[in-house]
Formats: sequence, C-alpha cells, structure tokens
Amino acid sequence: MSESHVNLRYMVSDVQQSVDWYVGHLGFSVQLNGAPAFAAVERHPLRLLLSGRTASAGRPMPDGRQPEPGGWNRFQFVVEDIAAEVERLRGEGVTFRNEIVVGPGGSQILAEDPSGNLVEIFQPAVAFAPAR
Amino acid sequence: MKPTAMIALALTLVLDAGAANAQAQPDRFDKPAALGVARIRYMVTDIQGSVAFYAGKLGFKLVAQSGPFFALLTRGDVQLLLSPVKGPGGASQPMPNGQRPAPGGWNRIVLYVPDLQAEVDRLRSQGVHFRNGIVHGLGGNEILLEDPSGNPVELFQPG
Repeated sequence: MSESHVNLRYMVSDVQQSVDWYVGHLGFSVQLNGAPAFAAVERHPLRLLLSGRTASAGRPMPDGRQPEPGGWNRFQFVVEDIAAEVERLRGEGVTFRNEIVVGPGGSQILAEDPSGNLVEIFQPAVAFAPAR
Repeated sequence: MKPTAMIALALTLVLDAGAANAQAQPDRFDKPAALGVARIRYMVTDIQGSVAFYAGKLGFKLVAQSGPFFALLTRGDVQLLLSPVKGPGGASQPMPNGQRPAPGGWNRIVLYVPDLQAEVDRLRSQGVHFRNGIVHGLGGNEILLEDPSGNPVELFQPG
C-alpha cells in the first residue's frame, strides 16, 4: 500500500460480499482480496480498505469494545446527475438511508453497503469543469 | 456573505481544484471519476474545535469554512469535509425516520506515518486520546486516535 492513494477503512461484516458490492455498483476494482479477513478495492485516488472481524483492524479495543460497521462518516461518490444515479442503483437493488436532500452545496443521498456503511452520492450545485 | 453562499463558494473552489487534476476514464462511471480527489465527510459536534484539531495536530490545511456549519480541509489528496450534527447543510439533516447523523463509529481515514511510535508520542504529549495501543498487523502497525467529537483516525506505518 502506497501513499499515492487516499486510504479509507470500512469495517464490514462480510468481506467478499462487500467487494462484490463496491465493484458491481460503484465501479471499484479489486486491488487485493484476502477474504474473509481483508480486501482492498480501488477507485483512484480512493483506496477503500474493507476489514472483517478477523483482520487486525477487527480486534477488540483494550476496553473490550468491538469495531463494527455503520456510523455516519463516509466518502463521497460525486456524480453529475444524482436522480439518474439513484435510479440506476435502486434498479440494482441498492438501499438508501434517506431521500435526496438538497443543501446549499449540492444534492446528496446516503446509500448503504451490505454491512450498513454509508456512501454519499453527491451532485455539486456548481458543476465542475469537464475533464480534459 | 450568508452561510449558504459561503458553502457554495467553498465548493466551487474545491471542485475547480479537483477538475484540474481530473483524468478521463471512459467507462460507465466516467462522471464520478472526473473528480481527481477523494472526499471524506466526518460528522462533528463542533466545527471550530475540529478545525483546530485537524489543522493543529494532524497537519491538515483549512481550505474553506462556513462558520459553525461547514469546513473543508486538505492533507495531500484527501479532502476532509466536516459537517455539524445540526445546521443548514444537507449532511446535517435528520433521516426520514427522525434519526440524526452523529460522530463516532469505526470507519476512518488512514494516515500513513513514517515513524508510528514517534507520532504517537508526539500526539500523546499534546493530549490526543487514543482508543487502543499500537496493533501489529500483517501489513504494518496501526493505532486509532479520536478527534474531539470521538471520530476515529487511523495512523498506519507500513512494514
């Protein structure tokens, strides 16, 4: 693992199921598959580290607390047409925690991976310049 | 300027910066790939205290802030968006079932450091709270610290 990526770790309940979900629905590619303990999937520049209970990151804390999936912290998946993207994902069976919310900076909705971790689908209010 | 205008301005700056690094990826996901940066959002209880923490202790740079409602910091290619649990921003709104976004959990940014022990010593001396001690894993050594809202940040030394 190098520093040229942005690394984000998600705790997951089933590593292989999570790999399939990020690859199948969000276009990630598998960089390393050590299921059932650990896998790394990539969508440059983001590298998503998927850690199961048997990974080193799945070990309990000294006070006994057990790392688990969920919470509200997440990465953004930036799209140009959020309605179309949500329709595509719903059609593929992806579940959402809310409906599209329009905020000052743009529109967003929270998709849930199979473990209940969030991915924020985000359409900026101000369109960014097209890629050259 | 109103908070909403400030946020829009901040996003414009960020998105322009992202577009400058963009590389075309001709697949069905080509639109999201146009943004050459990774954006991660943390929920926090206090924007100002969080900005002070990430900028003062972990080497992030503050790019934009909208008072108590939003802040954006960068560290390398990471863009960290901070949203409060209550406010006008989209991320601060409750779910349809009334559930409110909150800090915490276990999902986290992983920051690479060349000397984990030295970094832990430095941060401990500054009063930073850690959830655990250094864990020796297959890919390297890691530890979990907590920001002022209780969000985890992982420090990782490969090897």
